[in-house]
Amino acid sequence: MQWLDSSLSEQLKKVFPNISIEDGPYLSSISIPTDELLRFLSHLKSEGFKHFIDHTIVHHQAPERFEGIYILYNPELNKRALVRAFSKDSKLPSIEKLWPCAKWAEREAYDMFGVIYEGHENLRRMFMWEGYPYHPLRKDFPLSGPQDVELPSLTELYAGRDQEPSHDFELYHTKVATLQDLEKTQYSRLNKKAQLMLNWGPLHPGTHGTIWFLFDLDGERVVQSDVILGQLHRGMEKLAENLYYFQFLPYTDRMDYISAICNELAYVCAVEKLLKVEVPEKALYARVMFAELQRINSHLLWLGTGALDLGALTVFLYAFREREKIMDIIEGNAGFRLTSAFLRIGGLHYDLAEGTLDVVEAFVKDFPQRLSEYHSLLTRNRIWLRRTRDIGVITRQDVFDYGLSGPVARASGIAYDLRKLQPYSGYEEFEFDIPVGEVGDVYDRYLVRMEEIKQSIRIISQAISKLKKLPKSAPYVNKQHPSVMAPKEEVFKDLQDMVKNFRIVVHGESAPIGEVYSAGENPRGELGFYILSKGGSKPYRLRIRSGALYNLSIFPKLIKDGTIADAIALLGSLDPVVGETDR
Amino acid sequence: MSTLDLIIGLLKILIILAIFMGLGAYLTWLERKLAGHIQGRIGPKLVGPFGILQPLADGIKLLTKESIIPSGADRVLYYISIAMALAPALMLFSVIPLGPEFTIFGKTVKPVIADVNIALLLIFAFGSLAVYGTIFSGWASNSKYAFLGSLRKASVIVSYEVVLGLSVLGIVLLAGSMNASKIVKAQEELGWFILYQPVAFILYLFCMLAESGRVPFDIQEAEAELVTGYNVEYGGIRFGIFPLAEWYLNVVALSSLAVLLFFGGWLGPSIFGPISPAVWFVLKVSVLVFFVLWLHWTLPRLQARDITHLGWKLMLPLALLNFVITAVISFVIFS
Repeated sequence: MQWLDSSLSEQLKKVFPNISIEDGPYLSSISIPTDELLRFLSHLKSEGFKHFIDHTIVHHQAPERFEGIYILYNPELNKRALVRAFSKDSKLPSIEKLWPCAKWAEREAYDMFGVIYEGHENLRRMFMWEGYPYHPLRKDFPLSGPQDVELPSLTELYAGRDQEPSHDFELYHTKVATLQDLEKTQYSRLNKKAQLMLNWGPLHPGTHGTIWFLFDLDGERVVQSDVILGQLHRGMEKLAENLYYFQFLPYTDRMDYISAICNELAYVCAVEKLLKVEVPEKALYARVMFAELQRINSHLLWLGTGALDLGALTVFLYAFREREKIMDIIEGNAGFRLTSAFLRIGGLHYDLAEGTLDVVEAFVKDFPQRLSEYHSLLTRNRIWLRRTRDIGVITRQDVFDYGLSGPVARASGIAYDLRKLQPYSGYEEFEFDIPVGEVGDVYDRYLVRMEEIKQSIRIISQAISKLKKLPKSAPYVNKQHPSVMAPKEEVFKDLQDMVKNFRIVVHGESAPIGEVYSAGENPRGELGFYILSKGGSKPYRLRIRSGALYNLSIFPKLIKDGTIADAIALLGSLDPVVGETDR
Repeated sequence: MSTLDLIIGLLKILIILAIFMGLGAYLTWLERKLAGHIQGRIGPKLVGPFGILQPLADGIKLLTKESIIPSGADRVLYYISIAMALAPALMLFSVIPLGPEFTIFGKTVKPVIADVNIALLLIFAFGSLAVYGTIFSGWASNSKYAFLGSLRKASVIVSYEVVLGLSVLGIVLLAGSMNASKIVKAQEELGWFILYQPVAFILYLFCMLAESGRVPFDIQEAEAELVTGYNVEYGGIRFGIFPLAEWYLNVVALSSLAVLLFFGGWLGPSIFGPISPAVWFVLKVSVLVFFVLWLHWTLPRLQARDITHLGWKLMLPLALLNFVITAVISFVIFS
């Protein structure tokens, strides 16, 4: 996948003489004055750049300079465009009329940076609660955190404090949202129009995490709905700005915690691009193998919980039975089951454990039978069909307008798979198909994911044969590169390696100046990392483009006029993971 | 009525109460064990051998739990609905004969509390009453989830209630009685009614699942969207009563009825000696109950509008057609 660079944009220059195109070392970007931004973007949309990928803000430290970054994708040319425009008095025009999903991206930018979007229909905070005093991603945010305040317990709140708190009771705490704050947040989101306002969450078994849904119900029909995110917001992007590149890697595990290795893969690919690190073959294949195992793992969790939501209790445990095997394989190699932190910049953390390939091979051999077991329980089950068919139909236009990606986009017939379109980590050497749906309903998304599991199995067996051809002593990490840490066992034997590791751990990797956008095909869609480096060992700005967030953004539209029972089927098929939507 | 009859009547009530309350509790164990094996697990195994004492432990836990009534709840209705759920479920057993009449100490005893001529009508009446327990509990809890759950139950009952009545009318025509014992006796001559009324049996099975809130009709307690719906605000044994009544007692009662109506009740070759009828009856009921539990752990659930659709557009015409055809044919044959 290429970027729209100066060679291609002569026509654009004719229409918009004010644009300037910079071909950077990693990507090309188009700068445009703010006044023309809206016109330029709609022109780009009509030119074929209709798939919205991401919007974010970079806060440059000079007084109040916010730079809006827009990433678009042209499916016909398979090209991306990165458009940038500086805000005027912290104001940018809203593009929600062009791409409805920008609503959420702009709300997030408003929440994090305080940039005002002119023409936005409901510019509310996205993750933080109403009344939160800061815009966290601004560079002037107090890193030490807000002042601690005295927070009485609920009993004390009602009965008053009549005795000294016990010795292990801390009086002062970080200020968190109070019930009043949350109520204010809730009421600011939705004006009740119909009969009944139903809160789903923040803690609700159907939401697969801590999403907070608001439904305005007329009987069981949903008249309007909104989603309140942020219960799992940890400020990943802020954390990344204050950590060395290698230090941020374990945090990526905790975003989409169901598919940790895929997250790591997307992240290390971005950093490796920035640092220009070559990765040895063995590491590439092993990464692909584990990423695909993780994809199966993730899809199995989706299958189990999705079926559980619709009342099929047994599929859940059948899916977990296979999931357990994958977990064991990952644990045997990485030492951890869920948040494995197995990949490293430049390779892997450990060499493949003894016998891994045999175990994976056995798994691959056994798995197709299990898959047909799931199929026999659900695929032609009439009740399942009734619950999933023609529910939550996503059209092709919706895919572009809402920036959908991953299986959700593919089920609507858009073959948007980054593993094919922009191969990373050696995916170009593997043979696999992209399953696409026709209708784009819940059932199609189910079928597409089931087929993806099959394709993943294909990829894994190819990876095994590739790995088997490599000698056992083949390097699994490119330790020659100055920014890559040597494997642990060599650090204890080799002085040079030890000194290098010491230097990286203390001072971090030194990255060149530049900006990178690199994305991986995650089970939940495109997980992109936009890294802006101004030199040094920490990113100046690291933006995480979350597939789950954009996929979720279409939920209020789809569920309108559906029922609560449809909502659960639909949500299961969109398959958001809150760790990734909130970051 | 002599004193002896009164004593016998009371004894019957006590025995039936003891048997079915205990059975209800032990069905939880059976269901958990069964679910475990269906799902490739073991199920309860720690309390007693094979976890056989698990229902006891559960009961103690439920009884000793603190029960919290939500603020704003309708207290009277909140408690009444518990009784409204349990009482009809137990009353169902009063008109279900558990075997043929037998003689003990020269006294003829019918193993049924009330051998009335309108047994079928009573059963359907109690079945409909039991639904009020569900609906009231949702209303009284002052919770939106519970309220939605009870509304869903209301929509289910509207869908299946008519079909349930119509589905067994064919049997009544064939047997010429609404008395359960007489229906069984009729099957002694004609053979099991399932042979004559297969469609009616399938319709009855659907309605039975719907009435007892079993998969695929368990929409009122859909745990994913409504967090178990109507009983979400009940705690301790007050909570325990609802599944006991709906999931277990109702299933057993309606399965017994199905056995009486379609599978010849206690009829069967007397290979077990004098207790043969009882054994056959228990065996047949167990098979049906097992089938219901099996379905529960296999299928997904429908949603309210599908059930209404199914009930009114498919099952009701079928039931009517079945009834009319039965009526015409039996008129031709019997007259």
